[in-house]
Amino acid sequence: MGQVLDTREQITAAGYACIARFGPTRTSVEDVAQAAGVSRATMYRYFPGGRNELIDAVVTWEYRRFFLALYEALRGAETLEEVMERGLMVAHRAIEDHEVLQMILTTEPEILEPALTAEGQPTRELVAEFLTPYLERHDLRPGVEVPAAADFLARMVLSYMGSPGRWDLDDPAQVAQLVEVELLSGIVPSPVAGR
Amino acid sequence: MGTALRNDASTIVPLRADAAPEVTKRVAIVDGALACIAAKGLRATTVDDVARASGMSRATLYRTIPGGRDAIIQATAETEVARFFSALAVAMGAATTLEAALVSGITTSARWISDSAALTTLLEVEPWVMLRHLSFGQMDRALTLAVDFTGPFFGRWLEPEQAARAADWAVRIVTSYLVNPSDDIDLTDTDHVSSLVRQFVLPGVEALQDRSTA
Repeated sequence: MGQVLDTREQITAAGYACIARFGPTRTSVEDVAQAAGVSRATMYRYFPGGRNELIDAVVTWEYRRFFLALYEALRGAETLEEVMERGLMVAHRAIEDHEVLQMILTTEPEILEPALTAEGQPTRELVAEFLTPYLERHDLRPGVEVPAAADFLARMVLSYMGSPGRWDLDDPAQVAQLVEVELLSGIVPSPVAGR
Repeated sequence: MGTALRNDASTIVPLRADAAPEVTKRVAIVDGALACIAAKGLRATTVDDVARASGMSRATLYRTIPGGRDAIIQATAETEVARFFSALAVAMGAATTLEAALVSGITTSARWISDSAALTTLLEVEPWVMLRHLSFGQMDRALTLAVDFTGPFFGRWLEPEQAARAADWAVRIVTSYLVNPSDDIDLTDTDHVSSLVRQFVLPGVEALQDRSTA
């Protein structure tokens, strides 16, 4: 990206590259130190917990990068409907196409635990915050409060993006139905009011 | 449901006149295992712990549930899933409106989870044991299981496809608040769940109904 990375981030990025290449099981502290161009001593100064701490840091780093990329991809969306639909489709595709994530899910899914537990609440708050201006600009049904609606929608978006269940999130018509008919019916006035 | 109750063929006890004591022993082992998990989590629970907690010798334990520790954990999980679905069926079966079915399905699930000492410990000390079933592709499998079971209860008011969608949605709500609790909404509280269901879920289900009948 052109910016100067601090040593910790440099090691973390090298850790990610190693996991992508060798898989989490076969990535050693030595591999990462070598890829980052630092000594083992430096490595342990930044990650005193060794391999486990490093792997946790790598997973959390990539997890945040994933949401940052999603945020960048959606910034241009104009309406609540658009941001929800594009968000679900882009996020779902990004998860499915994320080769490292898919490899981890089949080989060593337990290394995702720290990110999925510790990052759960901040991520939900981040998504809710991102949706808030879209809700504020939209007509809402009487009695709908923006914070509660944003929290609910954030929970649902996060649930569907990773586990679409009965839905095909590659099909724009299905995504539109999920968002407009199901998720938003209680929040925005019906587009065909008075039918 | 078949999957939840599925037994490894080798562990099925044939029904016969003296089958009852075997079943009782099996339940005692499962309850012993639950007590151990509640006390110290899953990883630290050994076969000896379960034998002690269920008041049985190791030999009896191995005879009743052959296959060692993994088989005991498996039997415990399957029994708990069956108990959970039974509790859910009783609550949802008594509902007389779609709204009540949604509310009782969600509150019963949340209460069952928060009343379970074993699940409470697991969520605290080894969340991954639960979480791995509630994320990505594993969650899709859990959803299928839960939707197959709860869908028919909603089928009293909805077409099968809409019933499945309502069930899918309710399961996501329970899962989201389980993994990621809220300061404002307590899913064991009927009033909280009623307002959540009335505000966010029912309008979507009704919109689906309108579409299918339009």
